[in-house]
Amino acid sequence: MKKKFFRFFTIADWLEEETWLREQSKKGFKLCKMNPPAGYVFEKVEPEDVIYKLEYRNATAEFDCNQMYKDYGWEYCGTCFGWNYYRKPASQINSENEAELYSDKESKIAMLDRIIKTRLLPLLCLFFCCVIPNMTKLIRLSSRTAMLSDYILSGIFIALFIIYVYLILHCSSKLRKIKKDLE
Amino acid sequence: MDSKIEKIYVPMTETGFYILFCLQTPQHGYGITQKVKEMTEGEIVISAGTMYGTLTKMAKDGLIHFYSEEDKRKLYQISDLGREVLELEIKRIARLYKNSQIKL
Repeated sequence: MKKKFFRFFTIADWLEEETWLREQSKKGFKLCKMNPPAGYVFEKVEPEDVIYKLEYRNATAEFDCNQMYKDYGWEYCGTCFGWNYYRKPASQINSENEAELYSDKESKIAMLDRIIKTRLLPLLCLFFCCVIPNMTKLIRLSSRTAMLSDYILSGIFIALFIIYVYLILHCSSKLRKIKKDLE
Repeated sequence: MDSKIEKIYVPMTETGFYILFCLQTPQHGYGITQKVKEMTEGEIVISAGTMYGTLTKMAKDGLIHFYSEEDKRKLYQISDLGREVLELEIKRIARLYKNSQIKL
């Protein structure tokens, strides 16, 4: 039996996503696939404590190490927007680092920097180069023409503006906190 | 040696040192983790992502090179440049150890 879930996680919420996926497996839902941007398909199985781990790699980077991850006991469960999903039964874990994909501070920080450089910065660019100019242009236009379609369009851009402000503030403060905890 | 390489790798992280040290004989990622675990009596366990990241970076910088493929596993080996870096590190650590024995 398949079950679909919808849940949205930002680029800074992978730790919460890992915990959520683990909780689902304890309830007997095994992750089958991800439907971007926020859909998950689960299969009903026997409840089991399974650790899920996500790692971010630049989507364009060459990546062919699933055999290596398999050697370490990680089962590959798919990829979504540059994020690779892995799982391992908790019963196979004997030490702290066996439950982690990254074992030292340097490699954890390197992953954070990849997220900032390839995800957060483009988001900022889009915000300053597209959302803000379009929004101000449309607001000015709708105040002149007083046409309903212009009001609707500027409304859409105001909504986008609010979403972007929230996302940028949330992600940058959270990434900064994760980095500070590591250092 | 390139000053850029020296800047990145001297001093080296503990993970980086053990990986480079183990690659004096050809080895694949998981094999290195096993070896390091044994050498450090279970104290240092290098994870999959860290191993993959370090191997890729060291290969890109020319410290190690691809050796062969066995059962879909890539084996790497240290290069001449890698040996130079390793020697520098061993000397640095030996001096550190020697000086740490002096009573002030």
